[in-house]
Amino acid sequence: MSDYYQRLLADPTSFHDACYDDGFRLSIEQIERLHLEGARKRFAELRPGLSVLDKLAREQGIDAIGTIDDIAPLLFPHTVYKSYPISYLERARFDKLTKWLAGLTTTDISNVDASGIVSIDDWLDLLDAETPLTVAHTSGTTGKLSFVPRTKVQWRQTIVHSAIILRDWWGPGTGPDILADKMPIIIPGYRYGAAAQQRGNGIQIELYAGGPDNALFMYPDSRFSADVASLAGRLRAAEARGEAGIGDIPPVLLERRDALLALEQRRPEDVRHFFAEAQRRFGGRDVYVTAMWAILFDWAEEGLKRGIKGIFGPGSVLLTGGGKKGKEMPDDWRDQVLEFLGFDNFYEMYATSEMMGLCMMCKNGNYHVPPIIVPFLLDPETGRPLPRKDGTTGRFAGLDLMPQTYWAGLITGDEVTLSGWQTPCACGRTGPHVVPPVRRYSEKEGGDDRIVCAGAPEAHDRALEFLAELSM
Amino acid sequence: MSTEFDVPLIIRGEIIESDGIEYGGRRGGVAFRTPDVAAHIAKLPLRTPSMMADLYALRFEDILDFLVALGDRLDVAQNRHIQQAFALSCRTSGLSESILRHHYAHIGAMFDRTEMRAMMERSCGVDYLEGWVDQGPSRFPGLQARTRAFGSRCVHVIAGNAPIVSILTVIRNALTRSDAIIKTPSNDPLTAAAIVRTMAEMAPDHPVTKHITVAYWKGGDERIEQALYDPRGVEKIVAWGGFDSVKHITRYLQPGIDLITQDPKLSGTIIGKEAFADDATLASVARRLALDIGAQNQEGCVSARVIYVESGTDEEGLERANRLGQLTFTALQALPEHLSTPHKAFDQALKSEIDAIRLQDEDFRVFGGRGNEGAVIVSQEDYPVDFSRTLACRVGNIVPIDSVETAVRSVNAYTQTVGIYPEALKTALRDRLAFQGAQRIVSLGGAATMQHNMERQDAIEPVRRMCKWVTEEEADGRQLETLAG
Repeated sequence: MSDYYQRLLADPTSFHDACYDDGFRLSIEQIERLHLEGARKRFAELRPGLSVLDKLAREQGIDAIGTIDDIAPLLFPHTVYKSYPISYLERARFDKLTKWLAGLTTTDISNVDASGIVSIDDWLDLLDAETPLTVAHTSGTTGKLSFVPRTKVQWRQTIVHSAIILRDWWGPGTGPDILADKMPIIIPGYRYGAAAQQRGNGIQIELYAGGPDNALFMYPDSRFSADVASLAGRLRAAEARGEAGIGDIPPVLLERRDALLALEQRRPEDVRHFFAEAQRRFGGRDVYVTAMWAILFDWAEEGLKRGIKGIFGPGSVLLTGGGKKGKEMPDDWRDQVLEFLGFDNFYEMYATSEMMGLCMMCKNGNYHVPPIIVPFLLDPETGRPLPRKDGTTGRFAGLDLMPQTYWAGLITGDEVTLSGWQTPCACGRTGPHVVPPVRRYSEKEGGDDRIVCAGAPEAHDRALEFLAELSM
Repeated sequence: MSTEFDVPLIIRGEIIESDGIEYGGRRGGVAFRTPDVAAHIAKLPLRTPSMMADLYALRFEDILDFLVALGDRLDVAQNRHIQQAFALSCRTSGLSESILRHHYAHIGAMFDRTEMRAMMERSCGVDYLEGWVDQGPSRFPGLQARTRAFGSRCVHVIAGNAPIVSILTVIRNALTRSDAIIKTPSNDPLTAAAIVRTMAEMAPDHPVTKHITVAYWKGGDERIEQALYDPRGVEKIVAWGGFDSVKHITRYLQPGIDLITQDPKLSGTIIGKEAFADDATLASVARRLALDIGAQNQEGCVSARVIYVESGTDEEGLERANRLGQLTFTALQALPEHLSTPHKAFDQALKSEIDAIRLQDEDFRVFGGRGNEGAVIVSQEDYPVDFSRTLACRVGNIVPIDSVETAVRSVNAYTQTVGIYPEALKTALRDRLAFQGAQRIVSLGGAATMQHNMERQDAIEPVRRMCKWVTEEEADGRQLETLAG
């Protein structure tokens, strides 16, 4: 334990492939020391190369981390990773978008010449090809995409990390060691794309499945397009500008419209193929499945409608999270998903796309914050950190110490309750944990005029429908 | 935290306070109790239109007398109903106490005889409200016509951002000789009730009192709305604001019900290059712009949000725009507290957006916005911020442009007011802004502080539309007979 702890202090990233259970056997004093020293280390290392962090530190007048609360003013609002103006996209100023991104990573991307680029997908491909980054985009409820500058190395570490969690979460070595003993992977989603959900696909095929023949995707040839995902937000921004904005539907999308519609038309066939293949090739076998609950439910509902249930073997595992995401689902949605899948060993997480670490749910329904994430609860009105006292509720924020090239210190839009500081969880794990429910502040405030959709795929689908309706 | 208030149900002079059910307020965690309207729904609509006749035994001047007398009794210092409405509003409204105090102190003044008469003269013509008005000769020889404006049976789904909405609804209903069912909003459930309760105490059997009902129910409650929105009892619905409230209502639209919507709107500003003539001019423009952004804490549809400024977009142009931003923010902080204060419930989603773009100083310059003091964001290109539709709580976005064309084209049907500097630019642009959809074009500084002819509201003349314009025609009998061959 001592070696393990010394390694964490010296290099928090070492957490990614160490025994996951060890992280929840540390004393609270050890965790607090790791938080403080880790935060000091990341701040000192990252500030000189991260102009946005440097600017925030100067704004806040913070040069040194005395106590852990000094980190709170340095946490990014979640909007930072989407703080570029949409006009960059409308005016195809991908050179400026590159420059914007460069302010958020210490990875040198100055070699990238994005001046001829006209679409987000092409821009992401260019960064993939010419830099150590594989930028992931998220799709918030507003349709404006965040871009998280994670490196190729970090993606690999993330996928390894998930495997370690599967192996050790219910006790060291109690789960499948998917890195050593490959398992088929089943993903009810897109194979390609730069959204956070797709970025790990290639690495999972390699590290978990041992090759593409052992993997099954709902849309095996399709790409989840960032341009399509961003369409709704861009159209609304255009609308807000009145006549000046109308007609600003990105020409590149219109050009690709036929291809996108062909993809859209092929989807029912893809879905049929997916069900048939899941049964034919993987029926009764132990598999690894990953997707958000809302997407799993769609899949299960469709499958149960076709009379399919209990398809996979009892030793299968499911990595999931995300809750209902504002989607209308029956009360027994979890049971329906598990009945369809045929196994009940699921690992449920609470996570944000900007962080590498995940908070996993224990038998008592609490999400355990790993020791390399420094969690904060902020006063929702003033943004000031609340005391580390069990049962305190506030806006959740955290600094993930694993990423070494970007600042994974972020304020979420979630209201949560934290405990575990004074009294550990009854499951025996030490350290802070999130006590459900997790609520969005925007929901609590009675909603606002933003479009709330059931996650990115739905926005993607709606945008495709919109394109289909456009007369050429 | 839960402080309880009682909101009466007032049906045509009858005050019902028993059997309350509890509802939560929008802000401040305030709950209030009010009778379940569903239990009284049969009494709400006026199913027998002949009962409108009592209003026609009154002269227009009699109704004015009545309203003036009512206004005298609405002094917040004396009237405990108004005091309660003020106290509840302080908890539920987006306006600060100091601004609300100013509003409630002036409720009585809204019942000014000259102003009420002028409003009706402009919108309907008092002679049309008083009797049948000759329409002059027709292309058919001998055919004459006389038209009179009659009141109608209306449901008013009112907004709660300021007490004036309740006041205007009561005045308009009385002077058009209409019958009103006022559905109050959760962010001001008490002001309309306080006014009407005072009316009932003053003259419980007066026809005006007998033709007004005030009720709160949760918008969308089918038990109530299905029964209420029936053309046998309701001829028109006047709906203010709230996209959702209008959406609920559209379900019940059918022939025989006329919907008058005062949609949610946004307002903006266009400032010509003349603003930069010299320092003194710029300082005065900044002070007037601060009024348009900050007055009423930017809670109104008339409040400025995106401000197009013909500063130019080159380096010097941006510097000019930034200078205006700085001065405007300073002026915003200096506004008197009866007009504007730091917002008591600053929108945290908006705060996150501001915090993020503050770190992008190549694209945006942010003045203020650190706490709840408000902010002026200056775009560093001719594009508004991506979150322009959510600007609120005294946050304006200055957008530098090379030509006012960009500004004109940004105006659309959701634009309520456009404040303009200088006057000559306003004259030059007013027709084109109207083509685009703008509904009110004002001198910079006058967007949210003063308002002439509010009865034209949103360019749809809601007061005129509340009336039924009935025509009586008279032709010579023999002449008609010749048509029979």
